[in-house]
Amino acid sequence: MPGLFHGFLLTAFGALLLWAAGDKFWLLAGAFSGFLIVAPILATGLYQVSRALESGRCVGMAEVVSLWRSGDRRLVIFGLLLGLAGTGWVLTSAGLITLWSPLPIQKPADFLRQVVLVREVGLFEAWLLLGALLAAPVFASTVVALPMLVDTQASVMSALRESWRAVANHPGPMVVWAVLIVLLVGLGMATALLGLIVIVPLIAHASWHAYCDLTSQLADGAPAAC
Amino acid sequence: MEVTLFGYTEAQIAQFGLTFGVGAFILYMLFIVLNLALESKAGKFGTFILFLVLSFGMLGFLAKNLIQWFLGI
Repeated sequence: MPGLFHGFLLTAFGALLLWAAGDKFWLLAGAFSGFLIVAPILATGLYQVSRALESGRCVGMAEVVSLWRSGDRRLVIFGLLLGLAGTGWVLTSAGLITLWSPLPIQKPADFLRQVVLVREVGLFEAWLLLGALLAAPVFASTVVALPMLVDTQASVMSALRESWRAVANHPGPMVVWAVLIVLLVGLGMATALLGLIVIVPLIAHASWHAYCDLTSQLADGAPAAC
Repeated sequence: MEVTLFGYTEAQIAQFGLTFGVGAFILYMLFIVLNLALESKAGKFGTFILFLVLSFGMLGFLAKNLIQWFLGI
């Protein structure tokens, strides 16, 4: 139940962004990109649920509320860092499109016509390559760090170090996992956001299990709940 | 009368060639990137970034074709 509740809330927020941005492309792109980058911090409640289930405890919204009410400064700092990274990401990709596109892009239809549907290989592919280049460090920083912050008392810096180390130790599976997340989120968005109700909790719980599998192989030993 | 080969038209054969050709080319690019990562001693994290970036590029190429096909362009 907490999973579907999270999925519903995030989907409703996405729909709100869609409605608020209307046909202003840059507002829409910025809001959605930022939302996707900060989404892992919004899923921390589900890591808490997974953690409790792993320990064989009964779980409900109380688990999630207790995490949000804890006011954990580490999670706040991490969220702010993700927000900063998201801002940099949006500005860089906006810069690329503005400089490269032959005509100004103001509406989503302009982007579709002048970037996505252009027959030649060019701006769209370059935009994705740049996006991936910028997303790689963000993914490497969050994939283990966030569940670790929920699971242990590790500092933000040591969680980040462990996260990068885990990614460096398993580059192949981590690429597959990152691509799967993008595909699943894309699928969720393609279903008028409705698929996200199920996909958000699925990715969050799977992320917890990925964290458990990755940290059980780290030299420092397994964390408490896994 | 349209000429066929093993029951397939020229357009169909060209479509197969393009589909499998692009697939093979993508696999070949993966091999090139793996080789590049090994030879340049990019390290495991460098390999992760190289493959992630390439995967997104391919994903973009596929998504673009899928969207064009979906919109009937």
